Amino acid sequence: MTTLRLPHPPLLQGAPPREEILQVENLTKSFGGRTVLDGVNFTLTRGSVVAFLGANGSGKSTTLKCIMGLETLDAGSIKLNGTELSTLRGTALVRVRSSVAMIFQKIHLVPRRTALENVCAGALGRLSGPASFSPMFFPRELKEEAMAALARVGLADRAHEKAGRLSGGQAQRVAVARALCQRASVLLADEPVSALDPRAAEEVMELLAELAREENLAVAAVLHQPNLAVRHADSVVGLIDGRIEYSGDISGLDASMQARLYTPNRAAA
Amino acid sequence: MSTPAATLCVPKVPNSGWRITSIITAIAVFIVLHVFALRGTEFEPAALVTGAEGMASFLADAFPPDLDWESVLAPALKATTVTLWIGLLGTTLSIPSALLLAVFASRTTTPHKTIYQLSRAILSFFRAVPDIVFALIFVTAVGLGPFAGVLALICHNTGVMGKLWAESIEETDSGPQQALSTVGASRLQQVTHAALPMVLGQFVGLLLYRFDVNVRSSLVLGLVGAGGIGLLINQSIKSFQFDAMLTQILVVLVLVILVDQLSSFIRRKLEV
Ligand SMILES: Nc1ncnc2c1ncn2[C@@H]1O[C@H](COP(=O)(O)OP(=O)(O)OP(=O)(O)O)[C@@H](O)[C@H]1O
Ligand SMILES: [Mg+2]
Repeated sequence: MTTLRLPHPPLLQGAPPREEILQVENLTKSFGGRTVLDGVNFTLTRGSVVAFLGANGSGKSTTLKCIMGLETLDAGSIKLNGTELSTLRGTALVRVRSSVAMIFQKIHLVPRRTALENVCAGALGRLSGPASFSPMFFPRELKEEAMAALARVGLADRAHEKAGRLSGGQAQRVAVARALCQRASVLLADEPVSALDPRAAEEVMELLAELAREENLAVAAVLHQPNLAVRHADSVVGLIDGRIEYSGDISGLDASMQARLYTPNRAAA
Repeated sequence: MSTPAATLCVPKVPNSGWRITSIITAIAVFIVLHVFALRGTEFEPAALVTGAEGMASFLADAFPPDLDWESVLAPALKATTVTLWIGLLGTTLSIPSALLLAVFASRTTTPHKTIYQLSRAILSFFRAVPDIVFALIFVTAVGLGPFAGVLALICHNTGVMGKLWAESIEETDSGPQQALSTVGASRLQQVTHAALPMVLGQFVGLLLYRFDVNVRSSLVLGLVGAGGIGLLINQSIKSFQFDAMLTQILVVLVLVILVDQLSSFIRRKLEV
């Protein structure tokens, strides 16, 4: 197998250390008695991209949802910036968790709103009061921050375009800008490029990898194409039936590993 | 003539006997219900034939329509305008209550299960009570006149439009709202920045549709004394001025057509 790896830019002098920002330990989850996640462990580090691979139903989305609080975990610990999430409740939990942003396969922008307005919505967690209920009243500083985020993803010229009129790849980049406007330090992307054509997929993955390296974000992306992982990720978490089969450097994702992750009837094998 | 390259025997549909039985039962039930309905409503086409004479004399009295400006046409136009205003206010003034109840009565936007159930119940009540019953109630409360009509429409339309809006909220993709919840947005922010913008087009469409319906309802409300052209039509019938009544009905016809055209024109524009 030929793998084409772009050399990472050397770390700038004085660049922040590659600190561990999200630690997941022994994550366990079952639905109706069926175990879907069974003791999943991994760590996300600033400045690097982790690809989550695994067959349909192996528990990749559930893992991300547990981190986002969209599913409750049965057991295990999730530490964000050193804080155990299960010890937090209510607004404190929302505040701590706001440093994690989610990118969806279905993108989930509001089509009727402009790209800029959609990006501004990323800041809603830190806005309150009646003025936060309409984009008309968003403060100027927020709009400028959102513009900078749009420029970062290369779409400053489409700021006033309705999100519904953007192409899939552009829309996904706007969603990434929304995550930037959220000031997230962790990006969790659940199949961010599954609905995109190969070129747009390449661009979005390129962008995510670039943000990890240049903005020092921790990125986790669920992917269904090992090639994309090989080109853009630093490490891999491979899941089989809710259990980690492989966790480590991307170089471990060779042909035999790929075959193992996607073999049917693994339980019998 | 060409023959197919290959054929395959179609497998027998499982439970086909049971399906035929249930279709026959459904048809039988349908017929029996109609027999009861025809008896219950004293459905008698023959009565229509024997009554044809009365109908003919009624029409003869109505033609030609009385187009006298002073006594008939001007008052009819004025009253029709009032009817239009009743329909307009009845629609627009029910927006706040319908919106609030719609947001509360949608599973995706409601703040609480109890509020959801309660709002559903309130909407059902306002929808179940016909606007004409509300009109009769308000006529006794605030007296004869268009104000009673406006109040009646606000009540009934809140129920109908709230329910239609709630359904369109529930049917739209809740993904953007979920995305905002992961951003840390409050429930209310999720509603104003995702749920409502997602359904705005449908909301306006339904609003225009209800305006159209309400203008027509406000006519009927006039018959029970809640103002507008309905009141005049009622008076004309009671005083046997069928030629004036015909003029009034023609004016109404024009209004209804205009409102219908306008609302469907705007709805078409919105769809694009
Ligand atoms: N809400 C739920 N209720 C019941 N079972 C669920 C629920 N959500 C997920 N599951 C089950 O959990 C398992 C893991 O699902 P998950 O969506 O995490 O898989 P995935 O790895 O993301 O798969 P895919 O590649 O298809 O997205 C599946 O078997 C799925 O059926
Ligand atoms: Mg998934």
